[in-house]
Amino acid sequence: ATTAPRIPSTRLALHHFDTSYSLHLGALWPSVRAGLLCEQKYGALLNNFAAADHVPQQLELLNATDFICEAHQKAQQWQRGAEARGCQEGSGEGRTVMQAEMMAQAEVSPPLCASISSKIKCYTFPRGDITRFRPARPDSLGLLDYYLMDAASLLPVLALNVQPGDFVLDLCAAPGGKTLALLQTGFCGYLAANDISISRTKRLHDILHSYVPKEVRDIVSVTSCDGRDWDQVKGGTFHKVLVDVPCTTDRHSAMEEHNNIFHKRRTKERQMLPMLQLELLMAGILAAKPGAELVYSTCSLSPLQNECVVE
Amino acid sequence: MAGRAALRGVRRALLRGPALPAGPGPCPRRGCGEVAALRAMGFSQEQAQRLLALQPRVGPEHREAAAAQLLLLGLNAEAALALLERSPALLRLPAQRLRERAEELRRLGLDEGRLRRAVSRCPQLFHVPRKRLEAAVRLLRERCLFTAEQLPAVLETCPSVLLEEPRTLHHQFQYAYFRMGIQQKEMVKARLFQMPFAELRNRHIFLERRGLYETPHKGQTQTSNPKLKDILWLPEKDFLASLAYSTPEEYEVFKKLLAREEEEKEEEDVDSLYTEDDDDDLDGDGS
Repeated sequence: ATTAPRIPSTRLALHHFDTSYSLHLGALWPSVRAGLLCEQKYGALLNNFAAADHVPQQLELLNATDFICEAHQKAQQWQRGAEARGCQEGSGEGRTVMQAEMMAQAEVSPPLCASISSKIKCYTFPRGDITRFRPARPDSLGLLDYYLMDAASLLPVLALNVQPGDFVLDLCAAPGGKTLALLQTGFCGYLAANDISISRTKRLHDILHSYVPKEVRDIVSVTSCDGRDWDQVKGGTFHKVLVDVPCTTDRHSAMEEHNNIFHKRRTKERQMLPMLQLELLMAGILAAKPGAELVYSTCSLSPLQNECVVE
Repeated sequence: MAGRAALRGVRRALLRGPALPAGPGPCPRRGCGEVAALRAMGFSQEQAQRLLALQPRVGPEHREAAAAQLLLLGLNAEAALALLERSPALLRLPAQRLRERAEELRRLGLDEGRLRRAVSRCPQLFHVPRKRLEAAVRLLRERCLFTAEQLPAVLETCPSVLLEEPRTLHHQFQYAYFRMGIQQKEMVKARLFQMPFAELRNRHIFLERRGLYETPHKGQTQTSNPKLKDILWLPEKDFLASLAYSTPEEYEVFKKLLAREEEEKEEEDVDSLYTEDDDDDLDGDGS
């Protein structure tokens, strides 16, 4: 008997992405595709708990900048610009155009300014600069000075906009980069970090021990439950909920063969993902207080796993 | 009339015995007889002076014999001179060697026009040791399976293949054949070997990662891949705009990333990605 030729899972994944994303992203897809297949843009999330004041200066000497701070400055400039334009007089037609523009900007700017938490600091090298960061180093107490992560992974945490004293739930927390970022705000009154996988939760523990001093670790509760059952444990108690669901991990699936979700044996699991994601989102909603804020995020480009679930 | 005079001059140069070393001394005294000889071969006064300025320690017989050989190959005086100015070391080779190498190249299928063009493109063809030449030809014939018609076409357009380390040549061929799915015919037409391998890889992988080039499956004859000649020879601006749908900025960053990937992969034997081992030859049809 002949066996069917083994097509690598990465190839299956890319084929799948080509079919769905080229429709969805159009002319942007080639650039995005190449981006998935080349090294990601790293960010160095500064550890505010480490004694490492020299690090920002070191990084700036290398030409890296805190992209969050930069965005904050840009947003402020933009807002000031919008206000200035509001004061200007113009011709009839010009005024209408300017008014429309002002309206659009007024809608966008204030929330933008507010939600950019300036306590989280993350350095990146400039656009087109592919320099890599040196590995993280411990300070005198053994806490590492920064955490290297895909810079984009920080966006959901920024969007969550943790306020002082908030009770925060990270429903699918492992391996822990976003959890660490949440703690960097210094605003969490209480942080519940949950993940269904015990082995990945161990990595979360390691990260907490490497980066966070004991008194801060004390406000973190790490659990290994199925996130779908969360509301049965602690319903309606959180001010902020982050639901960073399992997904097709597009970049990983395009590059790594090992344990790839596009392998034939995981087809059922992959097809059930949107349902799982929806259930996790529901559990997150139920865990939130009335008036609370929730962020749903994935590391996939698929509308089926993003917009469709949320809508 | 002039042509016959030139040939006579050439024959005279070839029949002369071993050279007396050129004496030192002011140019006009030394040059007088030599200039005359060169002019008899068909060089102008000015061209003869330029020729004499090259490799002054070379004896007149050598100089004339080398020039004569080039003229016999069909190059005109200016072309021969230009060649010698680019590669003055040719003047140090014995005329015998020049003649023999021309013969060898002819036997490979490089007829007059092709031979002239190949030599003009690549004067080092005269210098490369015979063993290297033979190894390259053997590779092209036996491992790459270029046909008897294709081989001279490759040699004419990309004569530097004969200078290359056979291993590098093979590597580039295998990349185009297996990784890009290109047949010999297209390689010849697109003058594959004229392009430095690194640049071929940059452009190909850029297209591939953007989803614009796909390695054909076994047996697949039709693809929507862009033509090799366009990939290789479109100016970068046009390549980016019409094949890659991208920008110079994007391409620059990509090249940097790819170069770093390559550096880090240097330990791995890249060949093993698409051939079983180095001794693998092409199978005629799919298996």
